[in-house]
Amino acid sequence: MKVDGGCHCGQITFEAEIDPAKVGICHCTDCQTMSGAPYNAVVQVPEADFTLKSGTLKMYVKTAESGNKRAQMFCPECGNRIYATSAGDPPGGGPKFFGIRIGVINQRRELSPKRQIWHRSAQPWVNDLADIPVVETQ
Amino acid sequence: MKIDGGCHCGHITYAAEIDPEKVVICHCTDCQTMSGTAFRVSARVPDSDFHLLSGTPKIYIKIGASGRDREQVFCPECGTHIYAAYPGPEPQDISLRLGTIRQRAQLEPTRQIWQGSAQSWVNDLAHIPVVKEP
Repeated sequence: MKVDGGCHCGQITFEAEIDPAKVGICHCTDCQTMSGAPYNAVVQVPEADFTLKSGTLKMYVKTAESGNKRAQMFCPECGNRIYATSAGDPPGGGPKFFGIRIGVINQRRELSPKRQIWHRSAQPWVNDLADIPVVETQ
Repeated sequence: MKIDGGCHCGHITYAAEIDPEKVVICHCTDCQTMSGTAFRVSARVPDSDFHLLSGTPKIYIKIGASGRDREQVFCPECGTHIYAAYPGPEPQDISLRLGTIRQRAQLEPTRQIWQGSAQSWVNDLAHIPVVKEP
């Protein structure tokens, strides 16, 4: 499935060819902090299937609990996170994968997560959104 | 409730006094884009109860649905968004991003806004298979 997207300020734009079956949720504490939300939603694509169309990304390298170094790529102008990938060669070899944040994909309404990881650090209320009152406006 | 927190790289740290009843989910499309995920969660905090302890955040101004400028305050080193506020000196509640609060496991949202643009699957997380980490 062809998708496109970018950051909020418009500096970064991209196109990608994604497999909608590769959309997942990550509940790890790093994803919580960096998204500002309770979990992150990501689609994994081979590096070759992602094309940066405009802009210059900034890289922040974090060390995962596994010891792996992960490059977090974001727009330096608006702070919008775009994708994460291995910093350097991926552990175990093979092609690099980019974990594109689904919030930056224009077609995100057509995507739904197929699996969840790091569930042990999930926020306790995330399965019960339907019970939280809805207010129509701010 | 006293809380503290900061960005992922440690450049920005803060402390605040918050009301746990004022934790809000926002499903607006701007929050989806800027968080990279399905929605954003914020604690509404009087600006006088928020204290930046370290770091120099960067500000990106977006125009809200109301037409007003809205400052998006983030760490320029790691990109973590910290809070949003209106420009100017008037007292206001800022929107502190829940994911940056160290005590976030003790906080639950009490209301949801902009549900008209919510992602279709967010009420059904219990049905999405969980992969056990090693």
